[in-house]
Amino acid sequence: MIQTQTHLNVADNSGARELMCIRILGASNRRYAHIGDVIVAVIKEAVPNMPLQRSEVIRAVIVRTCKELKRDNGMIIRYDDNAAVVIDQEGNPKGTRVFGAIARELRQLNFTKIVSLAPEVL
Amino acid sequence: MVLKTELCRFSGAKIYPGKGIRFVRADSQVFLFANSKCKRYFHNRLKPSKLTWTAMYRKQHKKDIHAETVKKRRRTTKKPYSRSIVGASLEVIQKKRTEKAEVRDAAREAALREIKERIKKTKDEKKAKKAEVMAKVQKTQGKGNVPKGGAPKGPKLGGGGGKR
Repeated sequence: MIQTQTHLNVADNSGARELMCIRILGASNRRYAHIGDVIVAVIKEAVPNMPLQRSEVIRAVIVRTCKELKRDNGMIIRYDDNAAVVIDQEGNPKGTRVFGAIARELRQLNFTKIVSLAPEVL
Repeated sequence: MVLKTELCRFSGAKIYPGKGIRFVRADSQVFLFANSKCKRYFHNRLKPSKLTWTAMYRKQHKKDIHAETVKKRRRTTKKPYSRSIVGASLEVIQKKRTEKAEVRDAAREAALREIKERIKKTKDEKKAKKAEVMAKVQKTQGKGNVPKGGAPKGPKLGGGGGKR
């Protein structure tokens, strides 16, 4: 359940460390974003000497949420943190690595690059 | 149909498909909980080994060990059966086991009797030989070689190291 003003961790090596959601894409007046949704975010904290700077506005896709994710087969998954991967306008990740476990739902949403980079897919 | 069940990481209870909550920690370790009670207690950092209703506690305090030991004993007693040992093949063993005590006793007696007879035979033979030898000796003695016992001993009387 990611809404505007939610802070997220960054699960890649793009150079951002912490994001803040400022808009959820996909519909007008959309309240919450879940795993696989694309958000517009601002970089609140960045790694020094990297292309991404603080207070830059970027797009990101959510890969982990504290809110439970329900699957059709009844499986319920919840993670320890809210995390996102920084992407460009075409949906390709800006970083070259992805950290931590990632939900399988991203594959159906055509984020195959992120899924293939992930160390673990649940 | 056999349903694939999983075990709760906290209580050790069975979890059927469609039940339970999967929790993925930051180090990407997956925990599966049977219900919200288990989940809540886990996040409250309660130790399952201190709660009496969990499988871990029961294992630690040896609550179900009685039934286990009974099962084990039964299995061990059943095990040492029916296999061939060094010289005796399985068939031979089976035959020996199935034959009655009387038959076995009879066989044993027969064997004993045979041995006794053999011993007797050998004894008889020995006796006969001895008798023959004695008879021969007597015959030779009768011929006139009387000093057979005393004569050869004569030179030894002064001996004890004569030619050395």
